Amino acid sequence: MPKFLHTADWQMGRAFSRFETEDGAALVEARFEAIEKIARLANEHQCDAVLVAGDVFDAQTVADRTIRRVFNATGAFRGPWVMLPGNHDAALAESVWTRAQRLGAVPDNVHAALEPGVINLEPQGLAILCAPLTQRNTYSDLTEAFSTWETPERLIRVGLAHGSVQGVLSDDIDSANPISPNRAEAARLDYLALGDWHGTRQIDGRTWYSGTPEPERFRNNSAGYALIVDVPGPGALPQVTPLETGRYQWHQWRETLTVESDLDQLLERLGELPEPSVVDLRLEGAITLAGEERLTNALSVAEARFRSIQCDRSGLQLAPTDDDVAALKADGYVGEVIEHLRSHQQDDDAEAARDALAILAGLLKDRKQETSE
Amino acid sequence: MKLRRLQVEQLRQFRQPFVLDSLEPGLNLIHGPNESGKSTLVRAIRAAFFERYRTSSVDDLRPWGDSAAAPTITLDFEARSQSWHLVKSFLQRKRCDLTIDSASYSEDEAEEKLAELLGFQFSAKGVSKPEHWGVPGLLWVEQGTGQNIEQAVEHAGDHLKSALNSLVGEVASTGGDELIDQVRTRWRELFTPTGKPRGDYQKLEREREEHQQAIDELQARIRKYQEQVDRLGKLKQDHERIQHERPWEEAERQLEHARERFRQVEKLEQQQAQEKETLAHLQSNRQLLRQNQEQLQSLSRKLDVRTAELEKARRELEQTEARSASVASNIEAAKAAYEAAARQVEQARLQETWSRLEQDIRRLEQHNQTLTENLKSAQQYQQALEQAREQARENRIDAAAVKALKNTEHQWNEESIRSQAIATRLTWQLEPGARLALNDEAVEGEGERQLLESSRLVIPGVGTLGITPGGEDLASTRRKLAALRQTLAEQMQALGVESVQQAEQRVAAHESAERTLQHTLELLKSVAPVGIEQLLADQKEAESRLRKAKTELQSRRAPEGPAGVTDVASAEAGRAKAEARLAEAEAEERKHQTELLTRRQSRDSANSEWQQLQNEVQNPEHQKQLRKLATELADIDRKQGSLEAGLQAREQEIQQAHPTILKQDIDRYQRSISNLRQAQEDRQRELRDIQVRLEAWGAEGLEEQFNEKAADLEQCNRRYQELHRRARALDLLLSLLTDKRQALTRRLQAPLQKHLDHYLSLLFPQATLEVDEHLRPGTFTRGAELGQIAELSFGAREQMGLISRLAYADLLREAGRPTLVILDDTLVHSDTDRLEDMKRILFDAANRHQILLFTCHPEKWSDLGVVPRDIQVMKERLENPG
Repeated sequence: MPKFLHTADWQMGRAFSRFETEDGAALVEARFEAIEKIARLANEHQCDAVLVAGDVFDAQTVADRTIRRVFNATGAFRGPWVMLPGNHDAALAESVWTRAQRLGAVPDNVHAALEPGVINLEPQGLAILCAPLTQRNTYSDLTEAFSTWETPERLIRVGLAHGSVQGVLSDDIDSANPISPNRAEAARLDYLALGDWHGTRQIDGRTWYSGTPEPERFRNNSAGYALIVDVPGPGALPQVTPLETGRYQWHQWRETLTVESDLDQLLERLGELPEPSVVDLRLEGAITLAGEERLTNALSVAEARFRSIQCDRSGLQLAPTDDDVAALKADGYVGEVIEHLRSHQQDDDAEAARDALAILAGLLKDRKQETSE
Repeated sequence: MKLRRLQVEQLRQFRQPFVLDSLEPGLNLIHGPNESGKSTLVRAIRAAFFERYRTSSVDDLRPWGDSAAAPTITLDFEARSQSWHLVKSFLQRKRCDLTIDSASYSEDEAEEKLAELLGFQFSAKGVSKPEHWGVPGLLWVEQGTGQNIEQAVEHAGDHLKSALNSLVGEVASTGGDELIDQVRTRWRELFTPTGKPRGDYQKLEREREEHQQAIDELQARIRKYQEQVDRLGKLKQDHERIQHERPWEEAERQLEHARERFRQVEKLEQQQAQEKETLAHLQSNRQLLRQNQEQLQSLSRKLDVRTAELEKARRELEQTEARSASVASNIEAAKAAYEAAARQVEQARLQETWSRLEQDIRRLEQHNQTLTENLKSAQQYQQALEQAREQARENRIDAAAVKALKNTEHQWNEESIRSQAIATRLTWQLEPGARLALNDEAVEGEGERQLLESSRLVIPGVGTLGITPGGEDLASTRRKLAALRQTLAEQMQALGVESVQQAEQRVAAHESAERTLQHTLELLKSVAPVGIEQLLADQKEAESRLRKAKTELQSRRAPEGPAGVTDVASAEAGRAKAEARLAEAEAEERKHQTELLTRRQSRDSANSEWQQLQNEVQNPEHQKQLRKLATELADIDRKQGSLEAGLQAREQEIQQAHPTILKQDIDRYQRSISNLRQAQEDRQRELRDIQVRLEAWGAEGLEEQFNEKAADLEQCNRRYQELHRRARALDLLLSLLTDKRQALTRRLQAPLQKHLDHYLSLLFPQATLEVDEHLRPGTFTRGAELGQIAELSFGAREQMGLISRLAYADLLREAGRPTLVILDDTLVHSDTDRLEDMKRILFDAANRHQILLFTCHPEKWSDLGVVPRDIQVMKERLENPG
């Protein structure tokens, strides 16, 4: 009754450029922690092996420190790890793998499947049919050879591949490496462990994408899981259990503010998010001066709470109400300027007009406070 | 504001109190010469307002040399419907007291009131400067500064604008300028004054570029790294494939094959060379044999030749011998002919001698006869010659003398004729028998006489008649005639003649004789050219020769045969011919003999040679040798034939094998092997190199670096975008605020423009002067003229300055501000017409403002309509009251 953990797309060495340095570093750190968590889970669930279906590394030339840390992170699980080169870390003549081997960073229990072929894990009762990517670009189905590879009958046949199952996934995945949708059946596989799609996804009874263990993008595709695969015996249908591994939740909201209550709802939702979140807001519509103030305050609070929050207000008009303007007590030509800026927020230069108005309002408000004091 | 009274004391030349009171609310003309204190009064008014009472920087106010002085100024004026009384003392007694109606202020408070009233500032330290003067700076014109209005307007700007604001009633915006300042301060955090990014904004822009550059570099390196990885992959693949295929081994096999074939060809070539040598030997051997054979065969040919030669020699001998008889007979005949011819010659000679002698005799006889005849003739001629000679001797006369005589006669004749012409002619016809004697000469009958000399005619019976010829030349003619007659006589005497005719006859006779002589002499010569004696000798000689010839003839025998049959010459010719023929025949004979001998010898030698050769050829050894040679030659020919055929076949074989190509093949295979091995080694080396390089580069973690750099750039970008947005917003806000404010200012300018136009129309009708945004007079137009005030002449600028100031004064007054215009010796550069216009303007302005006009040219202002006040007079009045 072999049982193994299926994971993929660790993308180690990736940097998160859109975030502040500190946030980016934390997100990178979270990915190392995810590996450690996988190792722990494998132990907890008494897995016989851990299969990584490609893209362990995000690039061929990552820092030595990154390489060492990746393998160190696997330390908790002493059983065999089979790691498959994907499109980001293909087994080229010189690759991150050869370097890792040269560095002596690869522990004995980690099998890097640098060549197509079968890795027999006799004690574990597993035969791993590996289809590593050995070219920078591959346009043929590397798993086609699986059918021709014979394995001992007593061993469970598990395919390990990286690419996109044809006709099932949307077109915008980042790998062109095609995989036939009925590969598991055609090659008499008990299970086909796939990588490349960053969300957890079942293709058929025996074919799964595990997804990346720690989300690294806003696309909402249920990332942040590893799969525990339990195969009762050769030919039997495997039992697959997704386990949560991710630390941060990534949220991307596109909101349009029209009435006062829209802002209230938004702020309420924001408040409900858990702390380890990465939030990306894009606001459109219009907002009053008072609303703007509230929003700014709320974002300021959110910044402290969440791992990261980014808010794009370029589509949001600043629409001071007459009361707002009256409160500013702007007379003479300054009043004319405010009117001008209010009315020019639909122009090409709307953003500048909005910002200018915000600045002006701020200055006037400060002055009002000064005088009131 | 109306100044009522001004008092100064202990101030420059006004050591004693000086009062200028009863000042008019309108125009006041105060004059005085230079140094009278005119400018001091102006200075005093300025000091009273602008200088802080406690300043020590007003030493110029102190009277000269009076260190204890306390310059004091007292002013009384009305403003804001209140009475103001100001007393200000400097230096030794620093005080300031101000009373407004009943309220009193002193010191700083008093000064603040003044500043607030008039609109100026105090200097923080030291003497007051133009930038503090504000409105008074504009309205109080110092000597010689009337044209400079820009600075003054700027310094009065705020006051003017606040006056305008209150006037137009428009709200400039509460704290609008302050707001602009705030925005500008924020703007300046991002921009330099010229609008270039600064500070963080600029730094981020630069950093962005730096990051981009770093990223570009990293990208380039990553690309290179990937290229090297690809190269490594390909090399590895190639290396393994080549190592597996070992293509050089195939080449080595081919090389061995080519070498084998080449060795075979080499062997063939060696054989070929050997056989070629053998063939050469055979060929030379054959040639030797051939030579021997030819030599032997040539003996027989020679024998044939010799036989023929012998035959020929024999034949020729026979022919020669056959001709011997005819040669002998020829010579006999020639001899006989010659002898006959010789005899003929002898006979001919004999005959010839005979006939010559006969001929000689005949000739000599004839000669002798001729000579005899000649001799006779010569003797006759000799005689005639003697006669002629005698004749000539007898008549010999000098021909020249005769000629002279004739000449003289001729002259005498001529003279005679002349004398007759002049002479007295005496003609007479006498009765026959009557006789007269003339000069003792008897005269009868009829006659005539020329009388040249006095003559006496005696008439017998009658007496004597004297006749004396007249005429002047008569005497000379007479003398000449006498001389000529004398000469004539002498000449005739010399000649021995009696008359001229006789002389002439003698000449003729002589000549005739001479001719005869000559003729006879010729005749003589013709018969005896060398004289008669010779002729005689010749004749004797001829006779002797004749005798001798006759004797010889008789001694000779007479020739045989008929005379003249054969002449000697032809006989001689005939003999010579016969002789030649004989010689010919003899030569023929000798030649024949020689030929005969020669041919005989030829035949003998030919015979002996033939015999010798004949013996040799007939030898049996010779025949045997010939036969042997023939066999040997045939053998050699056969051998040569087979050898050549063999050679040709082998040559073809060698050619078909292409030994040079084979050699090239070997070379080619060798190179290929070396290249293939080298290429593989190179590959291995490159493989190692790339491996090493990639290991080094890989250690740098290029892509991770790149990711980090990209993150840096993006952050930088984000920050930059934020600032950029802020910058754009500030830019927009600032420009909006300033634009709106300017628009407002422009609206405020209108009232000022109105006042300016009022004065300008008085000075320059149809001209315009525009006020700029800082309320300064700016663009000036007059007809087609367009320009700035600064471009006008000094005089015009001063006038413009003044009307502008008056316009400001009007504006301030309209806004309820106090105005006082002080002009210190102004408009000195204006011409009369303009000054006239300016006077109208000043008079007009004085309706609204108090104007103090100080001048040292009161005559220029006499028509200003006000009473001028003389400082000098006032001073004197003060010093000497009453």
